[in-house]
Amino acid sequence: MADRVIVTIGTRKGVFVAEGARPRRRFELRGPFGPGIPVYATLIDTRGAPRIYASSCSPFFGMKLLRSNNLGKSFTETKSAPAFPKDDGRALANIWSLEAGKNRREILCGVEPASLFRSRDNGNSWAMVPGISNHEHARKWEPGGGGLCLHTIVRDGQRWHLAISTGGHYLSEDGGETFQAANTGVGAGFAPDPYPEFGQCVHKIARHDDAPGRLYMQNHGGWTHWSGPGGPRPDIGVLRSDDYGRSWRSIARGLPSDFGFPIVVHPQDADTVYVVPLEPETRTCPGGAPAVWRSENGGGSWRRLAQGFPRKRSYFTVLRDAMDIDRARTPALYMGTTTGQLWIGREGGEQWDCLFDSLPPIHNVKVAIA
Amino acid sequence: MVTVYVPSQLRKYCRGATRFPIAADTVQSALGVLEREHAALYRNLCDETGALRGHLNVFVNADHMRDLDGIDTTLAPGDEVTIVPAVSGG
Repeated sequence: MADRVIVTIGTRKGVFVAEGARPRRRFELRGPFGPGIPVYATLIDTRGAPRIYASSCSPFFGMKLLRSNNLGKSFTETKSAPAFPKDDGRALANIWSLEAGKNRREILCGVEPASLFRSRDNGNSWAMVPGISNHEHARKWEPGGGGLCLHTIVRDGQRWHLAISTGGHYLSEDGGETFQAANTGVGAGFAPDPYPEFGQCVHKIARHDDAPGRLYMQNHGGWTHWSGPGGPRPDIGVLRSDDYGRSWRSIARGLPSDFGFPIVVHPQDADTVYVVPLEPETRTCPGGAPAVWRSENGGGSWRRLAQGFPRKRSYFTVLRDAMDIDRARTPALYMGTTTGQLWIGREGGEQWDCLFDSLPPIHNVKVAIA
Repeated sequence: MVTVYVPSQLRKYCRGATRFPIAADTVQSALGVLEREHAALYRNLCDETGALRGHLNVFVNADHMRDLDGIDTTLAPGDEVTIVPAVSGG
């Protein structure tokens, strides 16, 4: 029986790995690996013998992928990293997402500029996935604040959901061969046309196996006071789809802000979903008081979870991949901040404690029981 | 022959060598030699389009190549080509 909780922490200065026993009372910290180099994506691949992958994207020396075969005790570079064909004209600027593919050795990788790559040999060689990377919209996407990134890959059999900032949500129903923009109901608050075919700044998408067809989205909200063409655009930031992502509707009512980055679904309950609302102007905790918000009815209503967080003077940001939830019967959430704190939300987020308080700024947090 | 000096961070991509000789008559052709003969090292120096990475500097003897003819700077036998990462970041 798997009895170790492994948490990968991708930071501005390398990747750390925290390991604890199932009670999750104490964690040992290892790292940094790839020291000094930003890490935006990690993957704990528990298919077969566990492997940990971490991007390592140096502004000096380019893109690397690190792999650990010993639960993060050491890492080595894979034989190659994703790279555009020489005649493509694009050059890789960052690696934003890593996800397990269909087969045990298959890895998917979303990058900046927004494109998708696939490895069939545990990350040692890579090929571009042309259906999205050369999509007819691809040269029309614009970069968001973090860059033009393909940051989310959600696989559901032959159905693949990708999120691009700012490109929107793209859906494949043939295993990644072809993709269509699927953004009906997804607002773009920063554009004259509030509901374009594509070009939305989607921040994150999540789903649960028990609710086929349902998806949750954290979109770029915060447009309640927009005074440009089309008028205010409230509540476009937190959305739900019940038709495999073809159309979306708001579930933001009741939140203090519809701006945020991560969105996470409870491992045993498809109706329970978590977000971290942020002030849209500063992208920090509303009122300086951090809180995670939880809905237990699929977004119908929300409850503030703040037990253990500072009550004031706390202004961090939680980035799109910096929150995850383990798969224990009573799960814990793990949340990293741009101020270098790793928080654990025990009892499904009821009680928060800071595990590590002085790490580098955190981009990415993933957890697995291995 | 000219001598290429490798920064410490990249020596693991050329079996620990601090420098090695190559036959090249321009900086561009030197990079071409590295692409063919030291591919792992080359990927750290240039992106997929062949452009030198933005935070790297190349000196020919004591002069930065940007003060000479850039990538087309000519090399003479005995020249020293030094790759220096920028002193930047935070």
